[in-house]
Amino acid sequence: MLKKKFEFVDRQIENPSRGAILNLAEKRSDQWSLLLVTVGETRDRQAFAKLFKHFGPLLKSFAQASRHEGWIPGLGDDLVQEVMIKVWNKAAGYNPEKASATTWIYTVARNCRIDMLRRKSNTQHLPLESEDYWHEPDEDTPVSLLSQKHREEKIQFSLSKLPREQGEILRKVYLEGKSHAEASQELGLPLGTVKSRVRLALQKMQILVAPEFQDEFSHE
Amino acid sequence: MSNSISFHPDSSLLVEFSAGSLEVAPSICVSAHLHFCRKCRVEMLRLDQVGSEIMDTMEPAAIDDGLLDSVMAKIDSPALAPSEKTISKNIEGFPASISILMKDVESALTWRSISSSLEISQFETGQSDFEVALHKIEAGGKVPKHDHEGSEYTVVLKGSFSDENAVYREGDFLFRQPGDVHQPMGAQNGECICLSALSAPIKISHPLGFLMKPWLRINPM
Repeated sequence: MLKKKFEFVDRQIENPSRGAILNLAEKRSDQWSLLLVTVGETRDRQAFAKLFKHFGPLLKSFAQASRHEGWIPGLGDDLVQEVMIKVWNKAAGYNPEKASATTWIYTVARNCRIDMLRRKSNTQHLPLESEDYWHEPDEDTPVSLLSQKHREEKIQFSLSKLPREQGEILRKVYLEGKSHAEASQELGLPLGTVKSRVRLALQKMQILVAPEFQDEFSHE
Repeated sequence: MSNSISFHPDSSLLVEFSAGSLEVAPSICVSAHLHFCRKCRVEMLRLDQVGSEIMDTMEPAAIDDGLLDSVMAKIDSPALAPSEKTISKNIEGFPASISILMKDVESALTWRSISSSLEISQFETGQSDFEVALHKIEAGGKVPKHDHEGSEYTVVLKGSFSDENAVYREGDFLFRQPGDVHQPMGAQNGECICLSALSAPIKISHPLGFLMKPWLRINPM
C-alpha cells in the first residue's frame, strides 16, 4: 500500500519543471521533501493534497496513540487539520537542507499536540506557544546534508534493530507522551532502569555526541 | 544526585523535550540551554529524527475523505492566511522564549530583593507547578547558604557564578534536588542572571497556599 504511493509520487516528480527543484533534488531526494518545497514555492494545491494523503493518516495514528491526560480520541481529526493547515502556512519557511519533510512535519505535529492539550486544560493566559521554544537547526551546522541523510538512514535502521524493551519505552515516550517517571510506573520498573534503557537505545542509535567531540560542539 | 556535574540537561530530559512530554517550566529551561549549546542542539535534531521515524513507521489510520476537503476549504479562507507573527528581537542575546516572557510583562521587570545580593523577578507562565523566575546575583555577592524544598532547574543566562562544586558560565544547565545544600556566589567581574524553575514544595492546593509564595526561601543555615 505504502509502496504503491511511493511509486506514484516518483512518477509525478520525475520531470520537475523548475531548476530550483532540480537542484534540491540532487541534495535531498525524498519525494515528500520535494513536495513540501513545491508547496512553499508555488502554493501548489495538488502537491499539498499529495502530502495530505501521505501524512494525514500518519498524523491521525500519531494523535490516536496519545495517552496524555485530557486527550480524547476525537481530537485526532482536529490535530490532522491543525497540523496540515500549519504545513500549508509555514511551507515557505521549510529548508530541505536542514531537515527532511517527515522530521519537519513531526515537529509541527508534536508542537500542535502540546498546544492543543494546554489550551484544553488551561484557561489561564499562556504567554508561550510551544513553537517559541523550538529551535531551527543551525545555519552553521557543520554537518553536511549528506552525513545528515546518512544519519537519518542510520537512525531508521538502528531503531528497527533495538531490543524490544528499549523500543517499547521510546514509543511510550514519543507516541503516548509519557514521561520517564510515568513509563516506569506503567511498566513496573524502577525509574533508573527506564532511564538506562533509553540511554542505551540512544547510544546504539548514536544520538549522543561522543565525549571526544563535545568540546567541538560546546558553547559558542 | 551524582557528584559529576555535566552542565547539560541529562539525556532523559532531552528525550522528553523532543517528545513533547516535558512540563512547561523545565521545557523553558531546556530550550534556554539549547540557545547556548550546540552539542545539545545537535542531539535534539537527532532526537527529533527519532520521533519522526517512530511516527513514520506507524500503521497509517483511515481518514475521512471529507477531511482533505475541509482543510482545502480552510486554506482558501483569507482569515487563515499566514499570520505575520511579529518576530521580536531577542533581548541582550537572551533565548527567544525568555525575551517573549520578559516582554509579556506589561511594564519593566519587577525585581524583588531576597537578600542583600540576590534579586528575583517572577514570570507568569500559565501553570502552577513551578515558579519560573530570573535570579540576579550582584557581582561578588554571596547568597546565603540554603536548601531547596522542591527540585530546581537553573540556566545561566548572563555572567557566571560559582558554588562549592564548580563555576557555572553562560548557558550552563543545573538540576538540584531537595537536600542539595549550596551557597552560590556571583563572579567578581559582573552581575549574573540565571533562569530558574523551582517546583512547588507542596503539590496539593493548600488553603493557605498563597502564603507559601515565594517558594524560594533563603534560610541561613
